[in-house]
This record gives sequence, structure tokens and C-alpha cells, in this order.
Amino acid sequence: MTYETAIGLTMLAVMIAAIFLGFPISFTLLFLAFAFGWWGLGEIVFNLAYFQSIGLMKESLLAAVPLFIFMGFVAEQAGLMERLFAALRLLLAPVRGSLFIVVIVTAAAFAMATGIVGAAVTVLGIMAAPIMIRSGYDGQLAAGAITAGGTLGILIPPSVMLIVMGPVLGVSVADLYAAAIVPGFMLAGLYVVYVTVRSFFNPKLGPALPKELRAPSVWSALGAFAVGVLPLAGLVAATLGSILAGLATPTEAAGMGAAGALVLAAAYRKLTWERFQRALMQSLATSSMVLVLALTSNIFGAVFARLGAADWITETLLALPVPPGVMLALVTVLVFLLGWPFEWPAVILVFLPIFYPVVSELGVDLVWFGALVAVTLQTAYLSPPVAMSAYYLKQVAKGWSLLTIYKGMFQFMGIQVVAIALIFAFPAIATWLPDYLFRSGALVVSEPPPASSSQTYGETYEQMFQRSLQGLEKQ
Amino acid sequence: MAFSLLGAMVRVIDRFAELCGVVIAWLMVPLVAAVVYEVVARYAFAAPTIWSFDVTYMLYGAMFMLGAAYALRVGAHIRTDFFWERWSLRTRGIIDSVAYLAFFFPGIALFFWVGWDEAWYAYEIGEMSEQTPWRPALWPLKACVPLAAALLLLQGVSELTKSLYAALTGRAFGSGA
Repeated sequence: MTYETAIGLTMLAVMIAAIFLGFPISFTLLFLAFAFGWWGLGEIVFNLAYFQSIGLMKESLLAAVPLFIFMGFVAEQAGLMERLFAALRLLLAPVRGSLFIVVIVTAAAFAMATGIVGAAVTVLGIMAAPIMIRSGYDGQLAAGAITAGGTLGILIPPSVMLIVMGPVLGVSVADLYAAAIVPGFMLAGLYVVYVTVRSFFNPKLGPALPKELRAPSVWSALGAFAVGVLPLAGLVAATLGSILAGLATPTEAAGMGAAGALVLAAAYRKLTWERFQRALMQSLATSSMVLVLALTSNIFGAVFARLGAADWITETLLALPVPPGVMLALVTVLVFLLGWPFEWPAVILVFLPIFYPVVSELGVDLVWFGALVAVTLQTAYLSPPVAMSAYYLKQVAKGWSLLTIYKGMFQFMGIQVVAIALIFAFPAIATWLPDYLFRSGALVVSEPPPASSSQTYGETYEQMFQRSLQGLEKQ
Repeated sequence: MAFSLLGAMVRVIDRFAELCGVVIAWLMVPLVAAVVYEVVARYAFAAPTIWSFDVTYMLYGAMFMLGAAYALRVGAHIRTDFFWERWSLRTRGIIDSVAYLAFFFPGIALFFWVGWDEAWYAYEIGEMSEQTPWRPALWPLKACVPLAAALLLLQGVSELTKSLYAALTGRAFGSGA
């Protein structure tokens, strides 16, 4: 180990200790990168940091992040979720345990219109919890369904997490989106099966709804369904469909999606000045948080790599006498453990780059690995006692104790573990769709890539940085 | 007296960050418009623009950089809440005060200084974008780096004051002194 590598590893240790104190991670990373970088690399660290920043600011792929976040907030303000929920509730009212199913299906459908978690759990909690309590639903199972369903938003496209993850793994965002769809809906399906079986054998858990909560006729239920669901379905199909068909870049699809969500909100007469302003402000705060963290962790990562510490970790881990499968399982467990204290932006941007070279050396399909990480991190949202979803739900559903919510989440965590094991054992669950769409030639893209775009797909953050550096040197 | 003066300063800085936030948040509107215009022009009229690619990344880059201070104001920058949740207001105040002085101000000040030099250089040589034939000037985008750092430093003064208050009194700032 060289002197510089030792500095790098010290930086990593100090970083982990420092961010546990609770100061905003971005600023801690920036300072440590400057301090240790200056110690190990000299003044060049400042140029390195600057070019990383300007490179990230010029990266048009990441413009999809604020746009998808905005789309999600507009969809939320527009009351799209309430409509979905009401329509499905009327349709399924006579079925045992119907509200569980309605919550999960609403969450899975809304996940296709939003890229973030939090809003979904809160809105579902506000809408579903009172009715579930009134109808005598089991608190644990209900809280579990709401939190589990709500966290699907970070997994099912247009997940912001997957956009940020693409350049970490050096795979295209379209591939990652395609890879997350089947696991996402498989999870929703597993949830539905679980709650249906439980309420079938024990009808007390989720009784059929009382008459006054049912639709007067099947037709009025279908009418509500059409008004509430079809426009949203059109929006989602246009947004995700255009990415998966290779017609639009994620950024273009995000922009169209944001505009479409605005049109829908206006059509539902929900687009007030106040709501619009609120969606703008929330989008600014959230996207600035994610992207500033992306920027500072890239600076940190660049310093870490230049010091030779990244290579040292890769070589050391690869030299361990364990078979590749076990190594991969270890990395997955590590990602899960990290997802416990840290939120996904920190795990993806700060820690994943440290494991990436190891996984890459093992020669596994990185698209599959990305889907595995995504499901693992979604699970972390459901792991008590440090689970954001529990707090979001507790704030709006005062009738349930935190312990009830935790117990419910544990049941769905069990389902998550089954899903992770399935994806691990049968990689095709994740890779089938991207293989079918992009790699087997099943889909011939007729449109040439946009002439004005120099965006390349499947670049790593490091390659983006090198490209922007070349651009700067040309002058 | 000293407290009321500090209180006034904190309120002015916070209000300024919120106002800047509103202006910056509105960059989303031209960003959406630029993307939609390009998509419609290309697919419906087969007439792609030469400007939308540059405009898109410039608006996005400016928005998230300049929005950093607003995110700080509303507490959006993520913390590791593993222990944070369990700590008293006083403990949080002490940690934040030390971290602002030791990490935040030196780090962001250096960032400002580097960003300022580069932005000024880009302006002086009239640096232009190499990514498209449109070739817009790059200094406005580059100026966002020092500007974002300056806004962060200003908001940091307000946040440091609040943390010091919490560290000294064990109460949240503005909860009645």
C-alpha cells in the first residue's frame, strides 16, 4: 500500500464516522475531499473538483432528474392518486380484503408517474388509513400494505434512483428502467397474493366494505375508473413507452411527462397557482438535494480514485478466497445494511462506486446487478426501526402505533427477501425485458439519435468527466 | 438586544433565500418548455432546433446549483438520521455549529474561490460551448458555481446562528426567546 492509498483509506474511514454525526452529507463530503485531496494530491484537487462540478452541470442526461421529480409532484398535487384510489375502491368493494389490493395497485400504478418515495406513502396514508380503520381492517397488514406499496415509487420507472445509478454502473438508464419493470410488478403481485391469501383464510383481517362505501352500480364504478385511470395510463405509456421504445432520451421523456402531468392537472381542474408554486418549490429542494449530493460524492469519488484507494479495495476484495456468487451476495447484503442508516442517494452515490469495480471484475451483468441493488434499497425503506416510510405514515395515520406499523412492515420485508432471492437465483426476471427490447434486435429503432445531441448512453460519471474535460481542452 | 438583532438578521437571510428559491424554481418552466419544444419540433415537424440541447443542460445545471442554498434553508440536504433522531436539540446544535465552522465554511469558501477564477477566465477568453454548432457562451453557466457558493455561504451564516442558539439554550431558534 502506498502513502497516497493510506490517505485515501483514512479519508473513507473519517467520512463514514463524520456522516454518522448527522451533518448534511454533501458538505461533509466536499470538505473531506478538499482536505484529504490537498494532502495527498496537492493543489490539483481544486481543478479536479471544479471540472467534476462543471461536467455534472453540463450532463443533459441528469436534466431528467428535476423533470421527473417535477412530474411526480404535479401528479401528486393534481390528485391523480386520489382518483385512482377512489375508482379502484368502488370497483373492488365487494371483495374480501379489497382495500389492501386497492392500496397496492394504486401505489404500483402511481409509481409509474413518480420517481420518488415519501409522497406516495403520505398520500396513501391520508386516503386509505381512515377508511381501513373505519372498515375494521387489521392495522398491521394495512400499514404494511401502505408502506410497501408506497416504496415501489423508487423502484418502478421513472425512478429517479435508477437515473442516478446508471452512470455509477456505466449502463444506460433505458436498460435499467426495463430491468426494474418486471421485478417491480412482480413485487406488487407478491404483495397482492399475500394479502389476498391472508384475508381469504381470516376474513376479519379485511372484511368486504359496508354497503354505503360501494358503488351504486357497476357502471358508475367503471365510469370513475375510466375518468381516473385512463388519462394517467396514457401519460405513463407515452413517457415510459417512448424511453423503452428507444424513441426518446430519458430527459425528453421526462420533459414531455412533466408537461403531460400539467395538462392532466389542468383538465381535472386541480391546477391552482398555489399548487403549481408548491410543486415548483418542492421540486427545486428535492432535485437540488439529489444533484448536489451527486456532485459532491463525485468529487469525493474522484479524489478517492486518484489516491489509488479504489483500486486497492478492489484488489483486496478480489483476492479474498470466496467464489464470485458468494462475493456478490456479500455485496448485496452490504448494500442492504448500508440502506439501513443511509438513504438511497448516499448509498448509490457514495458507496456503490466503491463496490462497482469489484462487481464489474466478477463479470456479472451490470444491468441485472442494478436491478438487484434497486430492490435491495427499496427493501431498506421497509426495514424498521430506521425506515422513512414508517415515519411518513405515522405522521398522517395517528390511529396506528409505530409498533403496529413496524410489525406490518416486517411481514412485507419477508416478501422483499423472497423477491431478492428470486432475482438472485433467476437473473432473467430482471434481464429478460432489456434483453428483449434492446439487445436481441427485437426492436429496430427507426429514428436516428437526435443530431443535436452529444449525449452518449451508458457512460460512467468518470467518462462524462473525461468527455467534458476534452471539450474544455479543445479551445 | 443582541438576540433581537441576530433574530432580525436570520429572518432577513432566510427570507432572501426563499425569494431566490422562488426565482430559481421558476427555471423549471423554461426547462420543460425547451424540452417539449425540441421534441415536438423534431418528431412532428422534423425540424430540430440547434439551441435546445444547450439550453436544457444550462437551465438544469443552473437550477440545481443555485437551488442548493434554498435546499439548505428548508432542510432538504439529507443527513444520516440514524443517531440524529435520538439527539436533543442542544446536541444537534453543538454538532451543527462545529460542522458549519469546520466543514461547511472552509469547503464552500474554497469552492467559491475556485469557481470564481474559472468563471472569470471563461468570461475573459469568451469561452464557448463545444457540444453543439450553436456554441453559446459558457460564462453564465460557469458563473453559477461561485454564485451558488456565495448563496450557500450567506445561508450558512443564518444556519450557524440557529445552531449556536440551539447549542447554547437547548431550544429551537424562533421558539420564543
